[in-house]
Amino acid sequence: MIMSEIILSKTGFLALISLFAFGAFSSLLFRKNDKMANFFASFFSIAGSAYGVIFAILAFKSSVPLYYSIEAFSNAHLFSASFYINKLSAFFIFTISLIALFCSIYGIGYIKHFYKKYNIGSLGFFYNTFILGMLAVVSASNVLFFLLAWEVMTLASYFLVIYEYKERKNIKAGVTYFIMTHIGTTFIIIAFLMLYKFTGSFDFNIIKENAELIPDVAKNIIFLLAFAGFGTKAGVIPFHIWLPDAHPAAPSHVSALMSGVMIKTGIYMMIKIFLDIFIGAPLWWGSLVLVAGTVSALLGVLYALTEHDLKRLLAYHSIENIGIILLGIGSALVFSSLNMPAIASLGLIAALFHTLNHATFKSLLFLSAGSVIASVKTKNMEKYGGLIKFLPYTAFFFLIGAMAISALPPFNGFASEWLTFQSLFSGASFISNNIKWLFILSAGLLALTSGLALACFVKAFGATFLARQRSEEIKNVKESSFSLLFGMAALAGLSLAFGLFSGKVSELLAEVAKNLNMPSGAAMAVSGSGTIFVNNGFASVSAPAIFFALAFAIFASAIIAIYMINKNQKVSTGRTWDCGTDLTPRMEITTTGFSRSIIMIFKGVLRPSKQIGTEYRDANMRYFPESRTIVLGIADIYRSYIYSPLNNFIENISEKHIKKIQSGNINAYILYIFLALLALLFASTI
Amino acid sequence: MENMILQISILIIFLAAVFLNAIKRNLTAVSLYAFQSLAVSAVLLYYFFENRSWLLLFVIILTFAVKSIIAPLFLSRLIKKHHLKYSASTYLNIPLTLLAVTALTVIAHSGIFSSLTKIAGEAQNMAAIAIAVILISFFLIINRKGIISQMIGVLSLENGIVFFAIFSGLEQAPGLQIGIIFNIFIWIMIASVFVSMIYRQFGTLDSTEMKLLKD
Repeated sequence: MIMSEIILSKTGFLALISLFAFGAFSSLLFRKNDKMANFFASFFSIAGSAYGVIFAILAFKSSVPLYYSIEAFSNAHLFSASFYINKLSAFFIFTISLIALFCSIYGIGYIKHFYKKYNIGSLGFFYNTFILGMLAVVSASNVLFFLLAWEVMTLASYFLVIYEYKERKNIKAGVTYFIMTHIGTTFIIIAFLMLYKFTGSFDFNIIKENAELIPDVAKNIIFLLAFAGFGTKAGVIPFHIWLPDAHPAAPSHVSALMSGVMIKTGIYMMIKIFLDIFIGAPLWWGSLVLVAGTVSALLGVLYALTEHDLKRLLAYHSIENIGIILLGIGSALVFSSLNMPAIASLGLIAALFHTLNHATFKSLLFLSAGSVIASVKTKNMEKYGGLIKFLPYTAFFFLIGAMAISALPPFNGFASEWLTFQSLFSGASFISNNIKWLFILSAGLLALTSGLALACFVKAFGATFLARQRSEEIKNVKESSFSLLFGMAALAGLSLAFGLFSGKVSELLAEVAKNLNMPSGAAMAVSGSGTIFVNNGFASVSAPAIFFALAFAIFASAIIAIYMINKNQKVSTGRTWDCGTDLTPRMEITTTGFSRSIIMIFKGVLRPSKQIGTEYRDANMRYFPESRTIVLGIADIYRSYIYSPLNNFIENISEKHIKKIQSGNINAYILYIFLALLALLFASTI
Repeated sequence: MENMILQISILIIFLAAVFLNAIKRNLTAVSLYAFQSLAVSAVLLYYFFENRSWLLLFVIILTFAVKSIIAPLFLSRLIKKHHLKYSASTYLNIPLTLLAVTALTVIAHSGIFSSLTKIAGEAQNMAAIAIAVILISFFLIINRKGIISQMIGVLSLENGIVFFAIFSGLEQAPGLQIGIIFNIFIWIMIASVFVSMIYRQFGTLDSTEMKLLKD
């Protein structure tokens, strides 16, 4: 038996699961020894992730989908521990494993920050369980087993969010995450129960086979429930409120996994339900997804611009990028409903490519941010500055991540955003009804979003690494250790590689689309040199050509610069700026100052508030101020207008009415159970 | 003859559940429960003679030992220890209680439970009586304020479930049945300890007095 057959066998798949299970339990076993717990947690997560990458590549290449079932757990009538891995699942297993691999390598060094402060064994346990949960989610074949895996993933990530439990805000973030994600799960469960009601099965494949038995009204309700449920996990606005709090609260290599891949499990399920199980969705589904994507992308980047907390800024960018991915899915849905599968595939390829790319550059950015925060001991960007001198490699990797997320060529973000644009342009060109205006608007706002993202990362990189240091702590900062740098370097390399070989990656992703009955046909072609052609020459881009052009331009600029510097120059004397005063960090533009003008443009949406504080040298004589401070705040309109009123309403009802049910009388409680039982039995007869 | 034993046993199980709602003396209720459990053992014995499964005989012996001897003994000791001759008051008086029991018996035979009773096939009427026993026992727990009566209600409810399982062909593997009996045995022991603790704390076994627990 050749190696690939062994890996793709049931034993091979169980080995993948077992590696993470070993990692979880062995780190728990050595919880009293920080070094050993770190060693076992990291060793098994690295081994498992590396094996996962190989498994996913082989599963992707497999001509038939893979099916595994664990008999010991499959005797129940409705529940079965079964896995179904088609090309879509294989792609997500690849993405999860790839990012987990480098986050785990990074973790070896990063976890040392927690020695003797927090329990390393429990971190290792939940970290490995978290990865295991994500892998099970994207490969589960049975609905009930999927929900079990979903819950394992959610609970493990919840415990990772509150890992640094001594900080109260982390506990608060964890509570918000726990509540929001379970509200989402409630929607998902109702959607699945409806699928079961009409198809009579909890097996995804049987549900797909019998999907035509579901009435249109029920399909629409299932779509809305699934979109809200999985949208909550993905962080789609307005279900996103947990995300900016929870992602920064977790340790940085976990934040990278949460932001990079966990939220994509929601995207995976959206693709699976909307494009695989339901074929020929109504037009309004795609339109709604497009609107949600556009809103999430634009508002995500605007909120990111207002942030001073580096990790929260990155978290908001995840919302923005989920929006961009939704634009691809929305396009695919619209084209599918218009029976244009070839162009639909373009949207899906764009969405999948951006999923992979966002996972890569966002985890890179979170890991870089983790190195910065671990060195400077604060997340407040206003206290950074000049870190490039102390963390040169980290700064370089952050810059690559920032360029990739800002969609600058030749990095991967450019390739997937270009494909998303092409998908939207296709809608504007080939659709004759009013929906085309939605595509035009989405394309316009995506362009604005991209511009704002670039501005945001100019702010983030500039405030963090350039100019002068704004706090004393920075002088003692040292570059990160090898494992941290290796994790970041590998992801930076991948960001460039996925950009450079975007043609090849797009071709591979076209196979996923084809597997979902969306052959790309003439909608996308890739030449031998890696040039991507869209819609029979409607547009084309060559990442290698851009790369070589840029490399030549940089090289030529460098030569010219060196020549100019070395040639004899005249020394001229001019007026000294600011009377010769030394430059100090106080003269630098702050992150607030940088983004203020943009915030004021969008003040209708962002609702900024300004607090000016002045301290005087002499309290009785207000002529000589000691200091002036301006605090620019942003109103949380989602909490103010949606969640707080909802919370008040529920509290009101609970206090005034529902509390009466809780009488403290055991007979009454048993009566409720009895009546509920009778009601359920009665309902079953209808 | 064998069929007659079966019918008498069923009658005893059902009537015991009805009378448990009507009587006030705790010791009589315990005796009734022991009698009901004996009838359940008799029904199981009937099936033993049909199948000749020695494991089933072991289950019958265990059922008899735990439900007809050990549980009543524990409950009797508890009643004597705390001088709980009579059960605490009920929410409904006797006529209304009997009316409710009649209504529940009718509901058990109505179409609401047809999807459940159909499982029993030919023994559909027996399954309906078993459901009536379950509902009546449930009602006993709701209507009585005394903890001893509620405990007997739970045990009678369990008898009703076993009774239903036998006629609907849902009886589990003997190993599982032994586990269930062991569960009841442990439950009786723990509940007895809890009852004593509650009596010591509150000086009464009226569950309505336990409202104070929430404060």
